Amino acid sequence: MPTLTRAVALRLEDVGVRYGGFTALTGVSCSIGSGELVAVVGPNGAGKSTLFRAVAGLVPHSGTVAFGGEICHHRRGRMHAAFIPQRSDVNLDFPIRVAEVVMLGRRRFLRLGQRPRRIDRDAVSLALEQVNLADRRDRPLGSLSGGQIQRVFLARALAQEADVLLLDESLSGVDRPSTESLVTLFEELAAAGTTLLVSTHDLALARGRFARCLAINGRLVADGPPRACLSDRELEAVFGSTTGERAGERHIA
Amino acid sequence: MASLWSWFAAPYDAQFMRNAAVAATIVGVLAPAVGIWIVQRRLSYLGDATSHATLFGVAGAYLVGQSLAGGALAAGLVMGLLIAILNAHPRLAEDAIIGVVETAMFALGVILISRSDRIGVDLSHFLFGQIATVSNDDLRTNAILAVIALSLLFLFFRDLRASTFDPTHASLVGIRVGALRYALLALLSITIVVSLQTVGLLMSVAMLVTPASAARLASSTMTRMLFVAMGVGIASALGGLTLSYHLASPSGATIALVACGMLAVTFAVTVPVRLRRH
Repeated sequence: MPTLTRAVALRLEDVGVRYGGFTALTGVSCSIGSGELVAVVGPNGAGKSTLFRAVAGLVPHSGTVAFGGEICHHRRGRMHAAFIPQRSDVNLDFPIRVAEVVMLGRRRFLRLGQRPRRIDRDAVSLALEQVNLADRRDRPLGSLSGGQIQRVFLARALAQEADVLLLDESLSGVDRPSTESLVTLFEELAAAGTTLLVSTHDLALARGRFARCLAINGRLVADGPPRACLSDRELEAVFGSTTGERAGERHIA
Repeated sequence: MASLWSWFAAPYDAQFMRNAAVAATIVGVLAPAVGIWIVQRRLSYLGDATSHATLFGVAGAYLVGQSLAGGALAAGLVMGLLIAILNAHPRLAEDAIIGVVETAMFALGVILISRSDRIGVDLSHFLFGQIATVSNDDLRTNAILAVIALSLLFLFFRDLRASTFDPTHASLVGIRVGALRYALLALLSITIVVSLQTVGLLMSVAMLVTPASAARLASSTMTRMLFVAMGVGIASALGGLTLSYHLASPSGATIALVACGMLAVTFAVTVPVRLRRH
């Protein structure tokens, strides 16, 4: 997707990740504009999570990651990025309330042991309003539905004032109505200037609701509008055989 | 009512029992405050193993006349190093490694004490505690260690919560997740030293894990869990000490059993509530 009219929020140049002797990802280069909503598709083990972890600075990588034109060599610069985990990666039995989870995003603005200030409490309230969970702020996290939990993590990323949100399979295990309303929320956030990268297995959703798609399979196979990116030829390169199914109807479990 | 009060108060006419009560209260506050993090991080087995391995450190320090806390911290450090070295081999599972290191260091501690000709050194003092012999100096040392540990826990409370709940996000917002883990393990060693005379090494894990587990059943936030766990800890320590006086039973074991009884009651009271919710 051309990003000539947008400021560049995230630029990757030849990004690669190796785990021991195994190459998980190689030669990924792309530029994502501010306020873009991008689907990242690929089969299991294709390197989607690895790409997000590299961008967030959670795994060592080769190549260059730059936020807003500023090249990041150290962890601190990566606070521009918020990594939103899969629901299965989160300990939902942990005794914590919704507002407390969102407040964790404010830690980057606080010194060690410092109590949250008024500005932090206001930021938490605003973030919860943005994701329509203001009335759930005192509920235990574990009592919420899958879609609501993803909204809580979005609110945490908003409270963190991150420019780039990396949502790792955030829509997995979320029912269809909640998925649709979450994507609507993604669109609203993008319209307000936040950049969102959403990894998903749901190709129909990627075709229907996203303007740009990155197809990954150990490398960047395709980058562009979903109709071009998710054509049968491109899908074959990403997923192997397409078995003649129409791309938009495939939903890889 | 008066007879109940006198039942509680009777043991504390003697100075040594008043010292014992203060020592038990310090353990009742500190161990659950560390224990809530041990429980939430699923480190209870490591906590149990560390308490056993600490025998090597405290026995060695006692025999050469050095500080027990220093010996315990050194033992914790040696244990951590040995686990890390063995863990590098992909064919060895971590729980098996912890079991091996724990027994090796415990065995070394037993041999060290058995070969000592120092008068008054008895293995059972280390293993089961000797609460009746707590001196004013012991109390002062334990109180200082507890105040330092509790201050650190208070200072790091939010970061411990963040890194226990979601370590990935915690490291992204600048929290030193690895350093916090080591700090928590150091606090674990300090807690074991403070528990040494009251409940002994073998049952120190009871005060770490049981009040925290009871508190988890009745809490939906870490702040509440902390205060409930400390309440259960103090009640178990003082209740167990009083009961041990009247029953002439070993104090460490009685304190541990009272804590378990409080967990059982909390379980019985909260399970129907949970079942109704589902």
